[in-house]
Amino acid sequence: MKVTVRAFAHLRDILGKELEIELPEGETIRGLLAALGESHGGFQEALFDGPGQLKPLNNILKNGRNIDFLDQLETQIGDGDVIALFPPAAGG
Amino acid sequence: MGEKENRNGLNGRYSRQIPILGVEGQEKIRQARVLIAGAGGLGSVIALYLAAAGIGFIRLVDHDRVDSSNLNRQILHWSGDINQPKTASAEKKLLALNPQISLEIDSGTIDESSVSVFAGDVDLIVDAMDNFPTRYLLNRAAVARRIPFFHGAVRGFYGQAATILPGRTACLRCIFPEGPPAETSPIVGATCGVIGSIQATEVIKYLSGKGTPLGKLLFWDGLHGEMDGIDISRNPSCIDCGPFAVGGEGT
Ligand SMILES: [Zn+2]
Repeated sequence: MKVTVRAFAHLRDILGKELEIELPEGETIRGLLAALGESHGGFQEALFDGPGQLKPLNNILKNGRNIDFLDQLETQIGDGDVIALFPPAAGG
Repeated sequence: MGEKENRNGLNGRYSRQIPILGVEGQEKIRQARVLIAGAGGLGSVIALYLAAAGIGFIRLVDHDRVDSSNLNRQILHWSGDINQPKTASAEKKLLALNPQISLEIDSGTIDESSVSVFAGDVDLIVDAMDNFPTRYLLNRAAVARRIPFFHGAVRGFYGQAATILPGRTACLRCIFPEGPPAETSPIVGATCGVIGSIQATEVIKYLSGKGTPLGKLLFWDGLHGEMDGIDISRNPSCIDCGPFAVGGEGT
């Protein structure tokens, strides 16, 4: 299946603005991030504090829904899904 | 022209926006009551444009004093205002810009108990805060009162904005369940200009009934000179706008 990944702010410097990735059926967000970590140097460090520990700076949205409200890293991805990786700004 | 301007502003102060907003749109703006939460980088831009546009009543809340490190971006505050309360500094400029508006300044702190007072008698809330905990308080107050909340935030060359319409759109908590950790954000002043102007535009559109509210999370990437919309949707179990939210709408 094919999934679109959109990256913002400093994550864009690592992944590029948007990419399509081919994943096995039933893959999870965790699997997607691992695949991106293998293909893009610096991605793992930008996203995780430690093994499986997402930095709080990062929001991951699947088709507009924050995965925090789904099954977090175990959230299943389907063909055609759009995954946005988004570190929010907080300043004013 | 002085303040003996045509009441509708057809020949004066509002003459360049009435052709777009209509006399009725301008009148709606004049009757509007708006809370701007924060008189910093975003609040400076938002307050200047909303005051200039003739928003009838503006309540501007900020508990800080002007510091020299503010001056690269907080364009309401100038070198001579250092150590002054931001609200006093803002009042001077905003009333000099447009003495026709009614401006209420408050140097109190927006917290759990004061937020409902600040948000109690306004038509909408504009987010010009520098931290997520206070943003969540404002978001919840907006949801409880079912009034719009215009979110904006900046960092470096990046910024984001969203127009939150309780009952219709995702709320701030649906989009960001948790804020990023507190930090002293590096900010290029002009980024505040971009995001604050978008927020002010959304407010003016909403009040005058023009256009379509920003339906996505808008992301500004100043380093690439690009703007993107990110799809957002409501979380049915959101703790702030879902059915189990305290004081929520129960939908
Ligand atoms: Zn919500």
